[in-house]
Amino acid sequence: MNDILKLIANCVENGKIDRNTPYPPGMKGQDGADELTRLALDSGIKPEQILDGALVPAMAVVGDKFSRKEIYVPQMLMSAKAMNGAMKHLKPYFSTGETKRKGKVIIGTVAGDLHDIGKNLVAMMIEGGGWEVIDLGVDVSSEKFLKTIDENPGAFIGLSALLTTTMENMKKTVAAIREKHSGLKILVGGAPVTKEYCERIGADFYSPDPQGAVNYLKQFAE
Amino acid sequence: MNDSTFKFEFSDLNLDVRQIEMVMGYREGESHEAISDLIAGALIDAESFCELKAEYRIFSGIEFNPSEKSVKIAGLEFSLKKIVFGQLRKSESMAVFLSTAGEKIGEMSRKAMKDGDLLQGYIYDVIGSEAADGASALMQEKLKMAAEMEGLRITNRYSPGYCDWNVDEQHKLFHLMKDNFCGITVNSSALMSPEKSVSGFIGIGREVRFNKYTCGLCDMKDCIYRKIR
Repeated sequence: MNDILKLIANCVENGKIDRNTPYPPGMKGQDGADELTRLALDSGIKPEQILDGALVPAMAVVGDKFSRKEIYVPQMLMSAKAMNGAMKHLKPYFSTGETKRKGKVIIGTVAGDLHDIGKNLVAMMIEGGGWEVIDLGVDVSSEKFLKTIDENPGAFIGLSALLTTTMENMKKTVAAIREKHSGLKILVGGAPVTKEYCERIGADFYSPDPQGAVNYLKQFAE
Repeated sequence: MNDSTFKFEFSDLNLDVRQIEMVMGYREGESHEAISDLIAGALIDAESFCELKAEYRIFSGIEFNPSEKSVKIAGLEFSLKKIVFGQLRKSESMAVFLSTAGEKIGEMSRKAMKDGDLLQGYIYDVIGSEAADGASALMQEKLKMAAEMEGLRITNRYSPGYCDWNVDEQHKLFHLMKDNFCGITVNSSALMSPEKSVSGFIGIGREVRFNKYTCGLCDMKDCIYRKIR
């Protein structure tokens, strides 16, 4: 790996956003993911090299550490912030189409449910995996999911629910999507959701942690 | 014993950085300097964001149905399921309670997340949950003292959504409370507003007991409270 890509990856893994970030103490005063990404682009490194050679592997390390309970939610969120510091420099290339991402994922918390932390974690890990994420927020109706699917054909769908009461709405949303788009892949998650429930409602994939979703999506990367 | 309403100060909770870290999953001896600093700052913010209130109503004449594992309170039947029923069944009366950390801590969490600072939003969210739970604990202490004055004991707190007790039963619980009790409402999905609120039952009687550790009763193996308490 190119040295600067290694440095960017290290910043993301350790949550070093920019020069002003005082953590980790050993990197105080040094450039962070923000400045290093700018520097890498200015020195001619292509955006996709930064994405695939630094950000995606760094977030994969973070996701795996979280799955193994070596780090916790706050550290994941620090890494996400550092990743965003790098990503802001790449986004113009995504919007012009000069750099392509792996596909689109539409994500949201189902109708009646206002919990968003778990959904946000998954959204940010999927984005860190190189995908474009369309986050519909919380309390998302089946109709809103369907409308967004129509606007983004072929996108993958992620549904979150945190309550046993709103799991029923997850089932309704899966049924509504299946009725119009039988071939779309639907991922589900949330505290009360299980693999068995996923199978029972006709969704395609359940993961107890965000990295599981990223790993599942890899096989479909464009 | 009479129905009672309480207001508490945030400082009454004695929340500290270590307690919040443990709820976030950090084990004994584990911490992260950056996270500890952010939590310390958020705890100072929370002092002005949190408005801690709690109330309980006492219901006597309650009827337990062992075959259904349910209890009837003021004509409403609650299907407690095995674990909660087992802990409450010797109660002679029931304290039905609500507590809240208020609206603002949840608003601050949502605002931080909306502004892209997921970490700050998450920290406020965890502090809000602990503050609401802490208000319940302080209310429970008051109830315990009132019960002891009458030679009675109390059980632990039990809330819909835990130990197999269906969270949907929260709607019935709210029917037992006075309108706008603590300013807390419940929506059709059984979500309370303010979101940082707790509802539940505490049993009262001569034969009931308080268990210091209740996690062994529950089958939620991944629950964060099992790991930290």
